[in-house]
Amino acid sequence: MSERIVVAMSGGVDSSVAAALLQQAGHSLVGVTLKLQECHDAHGSKSCCGVDGVTRARDVAGSLGIPHYVLDCVKDFEQLVLLPAWQEYAGGRTPSPCLLCNEHVKFGLLLDWAERLGIPRVATGHYARLEKDEAGQPMLLRGCDTGKDQSYFLAGLSRSQLDRAVFPVGHLRKPEVRALAKSHDLPTAETPESQDACLVEPGQSFSEMLRKRFDAPAKTGEIVDEAGQVVGQHAGIHVFTIGQRKGLPAGAASRRWVKSISPETGQVTVTGNVAELVGTEFVAKRVNWLAGSLPAAALPCSVQVRYRHASEPATVEALADGNLRVTLAKPVKAITPGQAAVFYDGDRTLGRGWIAPPA
Amino acid sequence: MIYADYNATTRLDPEVRAAMEEALDAGFGNPSSIHAAGQAARRLVDKARARVARFVGAAPEEIVFTSGGTEADNLAVLGVAGAASGDRPGVVTSAIEHQAVLAPCAFLQKQSRPVTFLPVDGTGRIDLGALEAAAKPDVALVSVMLANNDTGTVQPIAEVVKVATACGAVVHTDAVQAAGKLPVAVNQLGVSLLSFSSHKIHGPKGVGALYLRRGVALAPLVHGGRQERTLRPGTENVPGIVGFGKACELAQARLEADSCRVAELRAHFESQILARIRGARLNGGGARLPNTSNIAFAGLDGEAITINLDLAGMAVSTGAACSSADKTPSHVLVAMGQSAQEARSSVRFSFGRDNTDEEIDRAVILVVQTVNMLREARS
Repeated sequence: MSERIVVAMSGGVDSSVAAALLQQAGHSLVGVTLKLQECHDAHGSKSCCGVDGVTRARDVAGSLGIPHYVLDCVKDFEQLVLLPAWQEYAGGRTPSPCLLCNEHVKFGLLLDWAERLGIPRVATGHYARLEKDEAGQPMLLRGCDTGKDQSYFLAGLSRSQLDRAVFPVGHLRKPEVRALAKSHDLPTAETPESQDACLVEPGQSFSEMLRKRFDAPAKTGEIVDEAGQVVGQHAGIHVFTIGQRKGLPAGAASRRWVKSISPETGQVTVTGNVAELVGTEFVAKRVNWLAGSLPAAALPCSVQVRYRHASEPATVEALADGNLRVTLAKPVKAITPGQAAVFYDGDRTLGRGWIAPPA
Repeated sequence: MIYADYNATTRLDPEVRAAMEEALDAGFGNPSSIHAAGQAARRLVDKARARVARFVGAAPEEIVFTSGGTEADNLAVLGVAGAASGDRPGVVTSAIEHQAVLAPCAFLQKQSRPVTFLPVDGTGRIDLGALEAAAKPDVALVSVMLANNDTGTVQPIAEVVKVATACGAVVHTDAVQAAGKLPVAVNQLGVSLLSFSSHKIHGPKGVGALYLRRGVALAPLVHGGRQERTLRPGTENVPGIVGFGKACELAQARLEADSCRVAELRAHFESQILARIRGARLNGGGARLPNTSNIAFAGLDGEAITINLDLAGMAVSTGAACSSADKTPSHVLVAMGQSAQEARSSVRFSFGRDNTDEEIDRAVILVVQTVNMLREARS
């Protein structure tokens, strides 16, 4: 059945192939590229300011013969993604901006935009799959390419957002996607990998870029070891994340990791004992639960505490305040406040919560 | 495709193309060269300059070729301000100018020069009372557009000239949108500077001109050779200038017939749309360009209409950019006192010489269908 679908085209190979597949299936497409950053923000930098992406997406849309528009989301992106991300860093936590972008921009602003055009559905090149459960509710499943699976980044979408989403490459593996790009003769067949919101060059600090953008003061302070001994000073808590090894002063212990960050005092505590970094329990807040109602009793599932993390067996249980208590079957390293915890039952995404700092 | 975005740009006229093709060969020389090839190119530029000058009722030496309307506007604003004496730092312009005038005025303001942006009434006509108040002896330049690109509202330039001249200021008018749609004769208008552009009158892109009345002081923005009397140095864009010259000649010859016919098409379109679409309202009023229809569709998003019309095969435009927070509504409609939401519900239709009666009938149907579809989708 032919539908009108808005397809988000980043200029990368995944969304290009997504568009090609939908077109092949006979749908009537409207290609859109989200402009997330002003070009002059990137003056003197080689990082993608979005213009390359827009140009490539326009090229792909042209070769597929579909209309293409640019949706200027620069200010919205700053307010809905970058500012909250900075607030997390400023609070001593580590944000997950890609989730915010999917929840508020790609399946927020872009869905609204499509709706204003009278088009109900939005497709993206995410590696994730959608199916319906017995009750007709959308189920978000992991992408078939386990190395590329992006369900983690999408786990904050509501059921009504998922109902309107289309993920045409979720059942494919990356090499298949590249091969399809070639066979469709798409100009993006060879484009390099990019992350969801590629805003910084490798080696550049995302958090420092945010601090400068919002002209915010850095919360400086001491670096102390587990004994409370001051081992150095730092230029701002925002450059640290739990479990980090880089950028710490050399000390007695040959290896040190960040164990905790105190936004109040600015103190960063480090440890040389890796066992100090592990945890077995945390609370997940502001939960988006996709599988029925929140689990009243301990529900066995698996949990992923950051994007690049193999999920671990755990149980989750709703607390009276709507938060989830997560209990891991075995200790997990660097459970980082601010990151998204995403819960799975096999391939099915059950929901997402934000990891709260330990009480 | 039904093209109804003539205020954005126009298609190259076949006669213009022929003239340009000829100039690419016959005029390959550098007009500044002493030899025969240079002389041939120079003659082509001279001939084009005469045609361009005739189009605005000026002498050929009063024409400065530029890269287009934006550069002509910049040269006028910054050039007059730059050449003005120290006791005349002021510039007066209107709130509804094109960015090509607003931005250089804002640039002057940043350099601590006094700049006044005149308000407009609900029809988009500038407030002459405000002009009288702003026209002080320290004003070097008054720049008011001849007709607005968004709404087509024609400005009372004769009155502007009267007030400005009384305080000793020179008057520039941005006639980029008016040229080819209204008679543009510098002596009737009484202005000292006038900018116009080739691609709005079926000429090529990348060329425009500033009319500069004899004796008016202007500081160049670009420094280099002696071309354009040192006011705009750089080897001339010979094929572009030749095309512009031909386009001016054709526009002048066709002006009356074309604007009458386009006015009829527009009248038919407007009466149909206003009668058949509930909540459709015309933006702008009083004297308007014969080809421009700026229409608000209550409760709808102008961009959504524009994109759906594009998908259906009709080219129109909105003043607005894109997403929610970023969607700056047309500064023209906002200056006319509209709310941001009202302004965002507007679409600009601009017709031209190639539109047919049949196209207008189809355009009406497409617009009615699109508006109905969007209203159904919302309900």
